[in-house]
Parts: sequence; structure tokens; C-alpha cells
Amino acid sequence: MNPRVLLALIIIPLGLVIAAVPQNKTVPYKLTAPELLSEVAERTQFVSPEVIADMLIKKDPTLRLIDVRSQQEFEKYSLPGAINIPLTDLLSEEYADILNQDVKMNVFYSNGSLAANEAWMITRQLGYTNNYVLEGGLNYWYETILNPQKPSSVSSDEEFLRYDLRKGAGMALGGDAEVKDTQDQAAGPSLKPAIKPVAKKKKAAGGC
Amino acid sequence: MGPLAVNEIISENTNLFFAFLIGIGFGYVLEASGFSSSRKLAGVFYGYDMVVLKVFFTAAITAMTGLLLFSLFGWIDLSLVYINPLYVTSAIVGGIIMGGGFILGGYCPGTSFCGASIGKIDAMVFIAGLFIGVALFAAGFNWFEGLYMAAFRGDPKISTALKMSDGFFALLLILAALAMFWVAEIVEKKFPREEY
Amino acid sequence: MNEIKKDRSKKYLNPYLGGVLLGLVLLSANFIAGRGLGASGAVKSVIVTATTTVAPSAAEKSGFVKEYMESHKGNPMKNWLVFQMAGVIVGGFLSGALSGRLKLKVEHSPKITSRRRLIFALAGGILFGFGSQLGRGCTSGAALSGMAVLSLGGFVTMMAIFGTGFALAYFFRKNWI
Repeated sequence: MNPRVLLALIIIPLGLVIAAVPQNKTVPYKLTAPELLSEVAERTQFVSPEVIADMLIKKDPTLRLIDVRSQQEFEKYSLPGAINIPLTDLLSEEYADILNQDVKMNVFYSNGSLAANEAWMITRQLGYTNNYVLEGGLNYWYETILNPQKPSSVSSDEEFLRYDLRKGAGMALGGDAEVKDTQDQAAGPSLKPAIKPVAKKKKAAGGC
Repeated sequence: MGPLAVNEIISENTNLFFAFLIGIGFGYVLEASGFSSSRKLAGVFYGYDMVVLKVFFTAAITAMTGLLLFSLFGWIDLSLVYINPLYVTSAIVGGIIMGGGFILGGYCPGTSFCGASIGKIDAMVFIAGLFIGVALFAAGFNWFEGLYMAAFRGDPKISTALKMSDGFFALLLILAALAMFWVAEIVEKKFPREEY
Repeated sequence: MNEIKKDRSKKYLNPYLGGVLLGLVLLSANFIAGRGLGASGAVKSVIVTATTTVAPSAAEKSGFVKEYMESHKGNPMKNWLVFQMAGVIVGGFLSGALSGRLKLKVEHSPKITSRRRLIFALAGGILFGFGSQLGRGCTSGAALSGMAVLSLGGFVTMMAIFGTGFALAYFFRKNWI
């Protein structure tokens, strides 16, 4: 048989196959299910509102708050300096550089912590690091930072200290609590997680 | 899974070892297809020998089909494969200069090494020229830098630029290549040459 | 005439078979290393090495060396393309040896002298060397490998190379036919 015809007989069907089957756009998961489960069990992804409030007041440049709620909700209310990545757009190509990086500490938040935690799970499975979740979400943020309840008189000193800290933060961040002393929080222990270096998605070097 | 080296399934040094093996395959196939002969290579421009066109495009569509099939099976992550960046000006000007080099010298860099390996003196001289050319570029780089960096367009895929799926464009390219081969065989019959 | 043709086709691989094999080599390069084949990059590595060892002060000033060092870590000779090109020489030699084509000679059209052929080969080499750096890749690195990954850049370079080749073919026909 003419080699050209033979080539055509082999390669045209293969071409038809690749033209007919939709492109494989799935992104492979980097973490196995047990690995993820153990991370979920450790709950290390959660960052408490106090730590975030503290970072916000100190204008920590490494903090990046990511609002995973819808755009309308984001426009109605958002935390200072937050950017909006709706959960539905999480895998969009344009956000990949924001979510997979080793410079900033990304903190997802939503109204509760459910949607934010979902965002964290997905990015974590893609192998991204340095993403965290605001514990309790905006609801808890409101309760603890913007509108803290004064502890009862029988509470421990520790709780009073935390109350002062929250109140101070709430004041600085536009809450309605009265402030007595904002100096305490500076002395508070830094609970901020360290930023881990990330294995950059590297392409093979090429060129001729 | 793939590309193995990028996903660190094989080490850097293993990758270099594979580079050597791949090179052997590359050199062997080039030589066995007749790419070590400058007159055979230049034949494509005069219609007496279309071997360059046939081998070149068959290789391109084979590798392309293979990559897309591998991607379909999930064997390779195509987003990790190097895609040549597009700097429009330098790609065109560089291509024109290379085209001139091709018609004057009768080789391209890969084939000249191949020709030299079987003792073609013209290929060795061509390689000497390559070194001079690269050195000239290196020496004058500061002058050419503007041209070299101009009109950067990222690393676009032609299928994206034409707003097609990769697979559909691949099919069109396969059909175009086969049509071209058919024409090439007619042309070869029209411009026969004596043995060279 | 026909017999000569038959004889030649026996000596060389069928071009479509050769093409498929070359395509498989290119596919394995992409699968293993995530990159295509190349040639001029190896020459570039040698030039960078030579500049840095012979004239380190000039190398420091050269934007070319700087640009190379930024994109490549470590010793420029410990480069994928350098190893690949070493393989090409071995592979070409093997094939030539197996089919009895090892011969030291200048190949040229009977209408021109060896000297003229060599001068043109040198000029062509210089142009190709220069152009491959400007165009970020030669026929193998930019055009062939670029086409396999559907790179627009690869297509543009390929069109420019072959377009110019065809456009200039008439003026240099004496050298080849």
C-alpha cells in the first residue's frame, strides 16, 4: 500500500477521536484522600478572628483576605482590604496565581465557615499551600470582634484579657464596642501561622 | 503523570540521560531519512525532493496527535509542557534570517550536526558558521535587545488564537498535511532530478 | 532513472515512516522532559560557557549571558539540549555506519566548486546561528517542536523560515540544481 495512504488511514481516525472527545480539562489532585483527611482532622487551616484582627490593625502586608461569597454580598459588606473570589470562580485560571503562591497568607472567609472551608479543601487538594480559613466566618467575626460580650464577673482573667483585646480590635476595625485599652493586643502572642514556601508550578525550560 | 521530569518522577540527572537517548533517536531518524544531505534538504525549495516536507509534517502531526491523546488519557499534563513564547517581531525577523541561512547553507542546525557526524565537510563548516552567528548575536545583544523583546504576546496556542478546540485544529492540520503530501508527490514527479 | 530512484528509496527510510518515528521521538521528549527537541540551544550553551571562561569580564557586561543565566541554573553545559545534541551526533553516526554512508566529503551540485559550496555553507551557518537566537529557536526547536504543541510562535517562525526559503530559492538555484 502507498505509505501516504497508510499514514492517512492511521492518523485520520486518531485525529477524529481527538477532535470529537472534549478536551481533558481536569486538574489532577496532588493530595491523596487520607492525607487530606489527616489535615482536616488537625484543623490547622483555621485562623481565629483575633489573629486576623491583630494582623489587620498592624497592617500586616502578608495578609490577604479572600471573600468567597457572591459579588453582591461582597459589595454589601466585606472585611477591610479583602478581595472577592466567589467560590464558583475558584478554579478560574485568572485566580491561580493568587491562590498558589508563597508570599502571602491567604485567608478565605464566608458568612459561616462552610464555603470558606470548601474553598480551602479544593485548593489544598490541588497542592496549594498558605491558604487558611477564618474560623467561624463573618458571623463569628461579628460576635467576637465587632460586638464582643462582656464576660460575667466570675470569668477567669484570661477571658477578661481576651475581651479587652477583642474590644480594642473591634474599635479599631469599626465595631461598636467601647475601647478601654488597645495596648494589650501588641503583647498578645503571635498565633499567625508561618508562610510555607510553595513548590511553584514550574514549566520545563525550553527553547532551542 | 507526565511530563516526568517536571513532575519530579525522574531526577534531573536521569532526565539528562534520557536527553542523550532521545538525541540518539533524533539523530538516527534524521540521518536515516536523508537529512544529512544538504542537497536532499534543499530539494524542498525546488520541488525535486520533498522529503523535508514529508518528514517534518508527519513528525509534527504524529507528535501532536500523540500529545493530545496522552492528555485525553490523563497521562500528561499539557499545561506543564513548554510552549514557545511568541515575540512577533523577533519570530518573523529571526525566521526570515533563518530562511536565508537555509537556502544558502542547505542545512538547519539539527541536520548539520547529523551531516557532520557522517563526515560531510560542508556540514562541519555550517556548524562553524552557527557558532560565529550565535557569538555575533551574543556580542551585539545589547543592540538587538529591543528587537528581541518587542511585541511579546505570551505563549499562545494557535488553536486558542483561532478560537477552536485543540482537537479540532489538530484534525484540520492533519488533513492539511495529508493534502500537502499528495501535492508534494505530484510536484516530485513534475520536477525529477538526476541522482545527486 | 527509475532504477536509480528505487535504489535511493531503499537506502533511506520511507519519509512517512521516518516522520512517524521522528514524531515518536518528539513525543517522548515532551512526555519525559516536558519540552521539545532542539539544536541551536546547545550551540548557545557552548558560546555562553566559552564567554564566561575566556572573558569573564565581557560576560558580566553581556546582556546575552545575563539573560541566559537568569533562565538557566547551574553549569550551562549541563543542559538538556547539550546532552541531546551529543546523542544526535552518536545517532547520526550509527545510522550512517549501518547504511554505509560514512564518508568524508563536500557535497555540492556538479555546477559549483567545493570552495563555493563551503563559503555558502559558512554564510548560511552564520545566518542560521544568528537567526535562531533572535527567533528563539531553529527549525527543530521552534518550528517542529512548536508545531507539535500547537504553539502560535512556532507556526509564525516556521512560516517565516520556509516562506523566505521559497522566496529566495530562485536566486540560489545554481547552488543546488
